[in-house]
Amino acid sequence: MIIPHFEKPREDTGLYNGKAGIWIFLASEVMLFGGVFSAYVLLRVGADDGTWSMGLMNKWVGAFNTLILIASSATIVLAWVCLKLKDIAGYRKWQWITIVFATMFLVVKWSYEWPAKFTHYDVKFTSDAAAKRAMGDALGGTFDETAVKQIWQGRFDPGTNTWDRVELKDKPLDGHIVAYIDSEDKRHKVDATMGFSFWSHAFAWRFDRKNLVKNPDGSVKTNTEGNVLYKGIELNADESLKRDENGNVVYQEGAIPYHDTFRDRDIQAIVLHPAGNWHTKQKEASSGTLKFAEEKGHTGTDGGHGHHHEVIIQRQEISRLSSYEPAHSTFFATYYTLTGLHALHVLGGILVMLYHLLPISRRVYEANPEQFTNRIEIAGLFWHFVDLVWIFLFPILYLL
Amino acid sequence: MSEDHHSPEYYRTRFKKLITYVGVLLVVGTIGTFAADLNGVFPKHAHAIIFAMTVAVIKATAVVAIFMHLWWDASVKTISITFACTFVFLVGLMWLTVGSEVDSNKPGGTDNTWKHGAHAPAPKK
Repeated sequence: MIIPHFEKPREDTGLYNGKAGIWIFLASEVMLFGGVFSAYVLLRVGADDGTWSMGLMNKWVGAFNTLILIASSATIVLAWVCLKLKDIAGYRKWQWITIVFATMFLVVKWSYEWPAKFTHYDVKFTSDAAAKRAMGDALGGTFDETAVKQIWQGRFDPGTNTWDRVELKDKPLDGHIVAYIDSEDKRHKVDATMGFSFWSHAFAWRFDRKNLVKNPDGSVKTNTEGNVLYKGIELNADESLKRDENGNVVYQEGAIPYHDTFRDRDIQAIVLHPAGNWHTKQKEASSGTLKFAEEKGHTGTDGGHGHHHEVIIQRQEISRLSSYEPAHSTFFATYYTLTGLHALHVLGGILVMLYHLLPISRRVYEANPEQFTNRIEIAGLFWHFVDLVWIFLFPILYLL
Repeated sequence: MSEDHHSPEYYRTRFKKLITYVGVLLVVGTIGTFAADLNGVFPKHAHAIIFAMTVAVIKATAVVAIFMHLWWDASVKTISITFACTFVFLVGLMWLTVGSEVDSNKPGGTDNTWKHGAHAPAPKK
């Protein structure tokens, strides 16, 4: 049976079937992305002060990916135009270029942009004193409120001043964990963030003191064995931890097992390498108030130039430790949802474009060039929609 | 499908030029938005939002009109009616969610703007 109207328009719709189908599909896609966009707006306007860390986005990477996607949108039209001109070689050339651009987009996102976030950590503190000490170390030895304030303003809503509304201990120090120190004071190196061992390092560190069980006076509750207790954990009658046959802690039914790096390994302190914005402030300070700190021997790890200072933070000083993963904050949860959904569309587009370069597609072209040209037009419409979504995602997620 | 009436010559010359123009517009729009943000051209955040979203809408319009051929296909009712309905439905749904936030502080009323964790049940003791 031959399905009619796959190359010529139907009288009632004015479109060939495939084109009517793709426009209805795109309408459903508008609803899907419209829903998640409005969810983003709703979550953002309802977010607490100092929780929307969009200043952490790498704008250069976002802009680069935008330009790549724009270029791919133009090249797929050129591929379709070549088919209109019966130039199959030209079509193949532009289609391959489109695939290369699309693949570059995904490579940048999935092999650089996301992994860089998965190994970048925020540390929040149990007291203002601990925060001052650690931030001071990150700045080269002395706490400089002006410098910390600038860093803080840079990572949150650019139009609002949230500095006074959030306590210092809840203002995170960010960077990469380069080592940890165990109870025998032995230092263990943590592998480089982008090395081959990256995946063993990503998501590895997580701790949130709010999951600890507290005594009425606010202190952390420990059991008879000296273990700190977590919400939802199963205890034996003598308050010792209930464990399964593999020695793992057992959680109550319905409770979410909590991953605590400090508990799982014997860690007493972490060694943090502060992120680049802290280094910049060190450099700015080198001619000012912090100059004396460098002269006093805070040489860091780079041979004494006064930058790349290591910061050692005791576990008791940490109230929360999390990489920039979806669980980090509502911002990152929505960021990964939006960009992940978009990236899946890019991947789907690449698969469709590759299919149109296979020998089977070549045979379709030879049998009926107009039908094949229509297929490319449909694939192009989908691809332009993917580009359209990114046109809005880029300013919303990276710039505003 | 009026583009089917275009001659090969149209595609070879005029349409390719149009693609170039749109491409340039998209690149200029992207770089312009990026540069404005980088240099802090708009001290007020609201102005930055208006500028960036206006540029994004212009870019999106160019893509839809030329790359997606809607300039020629807009007269096809299947497309125009489908998207008119989609737009109305989307705006309606957004009004129900985002719009309710804007309307939360009525004169004489209480501020019931939703905040993270503010309405969470008290932890069990």
